[in-house]
Amino acid sequence: MDKKPKVAEKVSPAETVFQEPSILRDSTVIAPLVEYPIEVVVPKARQQTPAVGQRATRLDGRLHGLGQTGYIDDLKFQGMLFAKIKRAGVASARIKSIDTKEAEAMPGVMAVITGKDIPCNAFGPSLKDQPVLAHERVFHAGDGVAAVAAVTEQIALEACEKIKVDYEVFTPVLDPLESLKLETPGVHAPSANIYQKKFIKKGDIEKGFAASDHIVEGQFRTQMVEHVPLEPHATIAMWDANGRVTIYSTLGRITLGRADIASTLGIPISRIRIVATIVGGNFGGKNEITTEPVLALLSKKTGRPVKSTFTRPDEFIASTTRHPLIMDYKTGVTRDGRIQARKIRLVLDGGAYCSWSETTLSKACILSAGPYNIENLYAEAYVVYTNKTMTGAMRGFGAPQVCFAYESHMDDIATLLNMDPLDIRLVNAFNEGSISPTGQKLQSVVVKESLLRAAERFGWNGKGNTNGGAKLLPKENVNGNTVRV
Amino acid sequence: MVTVTINVNGENRTATVPAETTLLRLLRETFGLTGSKLGCDVGDCGACTVIVDGLPVNSCLMLAGQADGREVLTIEGLASMDRVHPLQRAFEDCASLQCGFCGPGVILSAKALIDEIPDPTIPQIRDALGGNLCRCTGYVKMIEAIQKAARDMRGETVETSR
Repeated sequence: MDKKPKVAEKVSPAETVFQEPSILRDSTVIAPLVEYPIEVVVPKARQQTPAVGQRATRLDGRLHGLGQTGYIDDLKFQGMLFAKIKRAGVASARIKSIDTKEAEAMPGVMAVITGKDIPCNAFGPSLKDQPVLAHERVFHAGDGVAAVAAVTEQIALEACEKIKVDYEVFTPVLDPLESLKLETPGVHAPSANIYQKKFIKKGDIEKGFAASDHIVEGQFRTQMVEHVPLEPHATIAMWDANGRVTIYSTLGRITLGRADIASTLGIPISRIRIVATIVGGNFGGKNEITTEPVLALLSKKTGRPVKSTFTRPDEFIASTTRHPLIMDYKTGVTRDGRIQARKIRLVLDGGAYCSWSETTLSKACILSAGPYNIENLYAEAYVVYTNKTMTGAMRGFGAPQVCFAYESHMDDIATLLNMDPLDIRLVNAFNEGSISPTGQKLQSVVVKESLLRAAERFGWNGKGNTNGGAKLLPKENVNGNTVRV
Repeated sequence: MVTVTINVNGENRTATVPAETTLLRLLRETFGLTGSKLGCDVGDCGACTVIVDGLPVNSCLMLAGQADGREVLTIEGLASMDRVHPLQRAFEDCASLQCGFCGPGVILSAKALIDEIPDPTIPQIRDALGGNLCRCTGYVKMIEAIQKAARDMRGETVETSR
């Protein structure tokens, strides 16, 4: 059967190679000649590319609708055991002793481990201050103190209850403003509670305040937020006879995860294989390892695959959350609404461990002044330890919190000046080529155009300012902090 | 231990399980139907929604024993070998799901609604989805898809085979 399928007339280079063996010796013929420099098409700023506005089919859409998407908890393996983590339940304590004998003796319990079984009990994306299971100290109520692997989840839960932990309880540090004070005992003593700072200084704020007609102050606070992905954290660990561990996990950052698992278990990174499938929501909460090293050790001890899932309460107390922020703003404006100076202090509640606090601090501080032209700016930002659930990555990394603050503050200033909140923003907003607080020259700036277009679209009639009778304030500081919680 | 016989997706299935086993765990772990999801296990999120005797139910709040002798429809029972259900096709066409975890629960809540009210209004759809949490999408495209599927099921649009 010599039926050659109809193909394009042009023969591919590979076909050519197979047809003419002599060509193999002449290397210049195989590859098409390339002209340097290669012309790369760079779309201009604000140029609409053909992809925008097109409908695209999600590749996973059909499987989702059929219920066929395999999430980690949907997987099961032969001989699989179930693990549960015993959580401390106290915010700050020293572990005097852990008695696991009764739990280990329960029928169906295959292994029990504590912090002492972890080869190197510290990890973290920047500061390595987070233990896999609590070592000697408990720093927040969700800290794991022991882990049990059993033939059913029920038995594992019961075994956790039978583990007796003797605590020396300490008074927890819960208020970040208390934590900011140097005399407050360090959560991770002997270090101070402020574990990272950032400062931005531009121009001279005293000169700016002196040139202002009005000075407005306000304090804004945001609360701790949990991502609540519909799918709870789930992990399955198993070893092969070559000493390699395979971990199925909802973990988002696999490469970082492998590095953390390698260092906590003390094994080469080449021995670690992580399989992550479609995740049921992450939003930043599944950015770092949780139970993976624990399950790996339980699996090694029992010689069987071990699975563990977070309960919904675990998601709230034992996984990272969004940093609460306490934000103090002081702005000097001239009577036409133009900002002359701004002073900002941010205090981030950094929870029990650093996690992604450094990134969050950085972003929050850099963005804290808002998209406004400010000649004189001073921003100081601190992140402090408290004995609460660790705060980490969550969509925005500090940006949403400061946005709430600076926009609310802008509205306050507009009210006090009896100005349209849209107008005061048009007076101050970035233009093309404006310099950001950290010295970056901005391109593709469309803040004002967007504001005007939006105002037109929803029929802003310029009468948004409801406080028509507000008194214009004198030059000295306004005493009466507006607290918006 | 209790022995239960349930008609799951048209097929009679029997199992003997501990008395405290929920219908959700029976479906997922004993019958291997992992389409229904465990999101909270306390009836808040709706990811476990299945249809029992025609009504949408949080299967994490129903004991396996309570489902004995009843008809249960899970997400796996919607599509046939030839075609997907109009709801599933509409959700795919409208890109209504992102991570997909809430999907089976939402689709079954929608099916129960359309079976009862073939021409649901937007407030009625919102009410029907009131027990299904979604953290990804904002629900807008789900409502769009449900309206589209309802039209398809009333025969008001020409079906193209897929």
